[in-house]
Amino acid sequence: MHDSDEFKIPLGPQHPALKEPESFSIALKGEKIMGVDIRLGYNHRGIEKACEERTYIQDLYLIERVCGICSHAHSTCFVQAVEEIAGVSVPKRALYIRTLIAELERVHSHLLWLGVAGHEIGFDTLLMYTWRDREIVMDILALLTGNRVNYGINTIGGVRRDIDARETQDILKGVNTLEERTKYYIEVAIQETTIIKRLSGVGVLFYDDALRLDAVGPTARASGVNRDVRRDDPYAAYGEIKFDVITDMHCDVYGRTLVRVKELMEAYKIIRQCLKDMPEGPITEKVPRKIPAGEAISRYEAPRGEDVHFVKSNGSEKPERVKIRAPTLANVQAVKHMLKDRFLADMPIVIAAIDPCFSCTDRLVSIKNLNGKNKKILPWESLRLYGIEWHKAHGIDMVGLNNSFRKRMEG
Amino acid sequence: MPQEDNVRQELINKFGYLQNCIQIPRPRRISVTLDYNNFAEVFDYAVKQMKFLHLCTITGLDEGENLAFIYHLAQDSGILLNLKTSVPKDNPVLKTVMPYFAGAEIYERELVDLLGAKIQGLPAGHRYPLTDDWPKGQFPLRKDWKPLGGKEGSI
Amino acid sequence: MGLIKKAVNWARIKSPWILHFNTGACNACDIEIIATLTPRYDLERFGVQLKGTPRHADVLLCSGPVTKQIEDRLKRIYEQMPEPKFVVAVGTCSCSGGVFQGCYNVEGGIKSVIPVSVFIPGCPASPKAIINGIVKLLGSLEEKEDKDAPRR
Repeated sequence: MHDSDEFKIPLGPQHPALKEPESFSIALKGEKIMGVDIRLGYNHRGIEKACEERTYIQDLYLIERVCGICSHAHSTCFVQAVEEIAGVSVPKRALYIRTLIAELERVHSHLLWLGVAGHEIGFDTLLMYTWRDREIVMDILALLTGNRVNYGINTIGGVRRDIDARETQDILKGVNTLEERTKYYIEVAIQETTIIKRLSGVGVLFYDDALRLDAVGPTARASGVNRDVRRDDPYAAYGEIKFDVITDMHCDVYGRTLVRVKELMEAYKIIRQCLKDMPEGPITEKVPRKIPAGEAISRYEAPRGEDVHFVKSNGSEKPERVKIRAPTLANVQAVKHMLKDRFLADMPIVIAAIDPCFSCTDRLVSIKNLNGKNKKILPWESLRLYGIEWHKAHGIDMVGLNNSFRKRMEG
Repeated sequence: MPQEDNVRQELINKFGYLQNCIQIPRPRRISVTLDYNNFAEVFDYAVKQMKFLHLCTITGLDEGENLAFIYHLAQDSGILLNLKTSVPKDNPVLKTVMPYFAGAEIYERELVDLLGAKIQGLPAGHRYPLTDDWPKGQFPLRKDWKPLGGKEGSI
Repeated sequence: MGLIKKAVNWARIKSPWILHFNTGACNACDIEIIATLTPRYDLERFGVQLKGTPRHADVLLCSGPVTKQIEDRLKRIYEQMPEPKFVVAVGTCSCSGGVFQGCYNVEGGIKSVIPVSVFIPGCPASPKAIINGIVKLLGSLEEKEDKDAPRR
């Protein structure tokens, strides 16, 4: 059993002379987290200020790069606000194309998440196979937009590229394959006893707390909070599309996994509807370079949750003010709550389960032991390995699952 | 837009001074402009009685002599209520809304760091998003702020 | 002496250990870096391994324009890497700041903080470009190794 005054780190350097701020400061008693302090700002690039010094079109390219994983989310959310101020009526076909790309982005993001979550708990074969399948979506996106990431499909007043019949066929083929694979993942990964044991009861966030802490996205929906901007405040073509909002009552990381996987299945449905119902017509509406004075606030359901953009214009070519609230920021308070009184070994997957969009690899964790006086600093990788070793010692071993999963995927 | 009109009417019935201060630019969007002296009671009513239970974010704006703040509140119906208020720039004091929304902490810290708002009631904690050694009195989002070290915004 | 150096260099060329570090990026380059390790591109068949620590790394793969918060940590990580070490700037942002050039919290590219061996442009840099860049780096190591070999 662990000595309560210190815990052993399997690998990784310790940096006794580190002066840089740690992303997470943990107060530990034995193996339990008593308090968490989260420090953000590492990705602060000053985008909002930069937006004021660039034209709306230049801002489109800048804002796409707020986050590379949900770049279309940010780009669309921004462009919607600008179009609202300009009083532009975006052609229906463009709205459908935006919706199509939005759901394709959701697919790539959730598959990415599945892989990363697998990696955090030691289920590395899941990472390999989901990311292999994710390449199908990346290919489709590259086919439609010209780039795998950062699609640049939006322009103010519509979209920049159209989609033809052959591309439609390619998308449908890809989606069919992905749907089959996703169903398989649900069967042989998500419903495996090892996974259920590993993820259940971890990162618990009950319904009342989810509301009180104002969580968004799959994190909130896995606690039974029935909120989804696509249904509550429809944008793009969602007002005309039938889809289900996925909620779950597990209130833990397992629930968040289920929500995302089922959202994948919904995304495939929405993509097929978009392709089937896509109206003919132009894909863009001309908008003057100078946007009349006004303000608008736009909301979007990004894969991580609600994304909010506020734009104020002053009649010139450059915006007066652009405010962006990305979904991860809204879930930070909930994370602090989820970690309290829980095992340190669960920290990596709890953080991963909100699908955080802050810097992935620089997360430094400082751990202060309340029993002794030591303070250790761990890079994230060490914490991840610690978590995997700890659960192994407590009977949850991923080695068997990795082997059997690989055999089934190849057999 | 019946739902939005109902919200407007209810606010005006409760707070007569809002009579000409409420606009409905489009479905699911309501804008209210109000004096900061009245802010607390309107905010309380909107959250507790009218069930605008989700704070999307707080936008801070530099409007020359004043700093303006828009609190974006959402209801399960999908309606967004934007409460806009302002305080003088030379004394931009606000009270925290953390008692209503724990998550407001990070939005308010951002206003403190980037606009120089003075928010009473914030607990001790790290600043966000600027570095600890960021020079005092430098608020990047203010209109008159120039980047330090002469690195002008290049395009 | 020369023989050992050659062997170490050969091992390094055949199996460079890589540390991936995000210096304030939007994550697009990071996911493309991770994608190079997955089955479709499979950088590992070149012997490249992703390590979690600077102390075992030969190559530092950086993404992102350098934000003020991350600058010190980047310097420290570089200092902790044993010689010889190489830095690869992945993506336009780490090459020059990219779209974030001029932003107040951004230094503007890795080269403003530490020396860079290879620049891989792209927004994001595609997995193919990343592999190309790393192979070029390995190639230059091989050349260097030949140049440094003692004359017989």
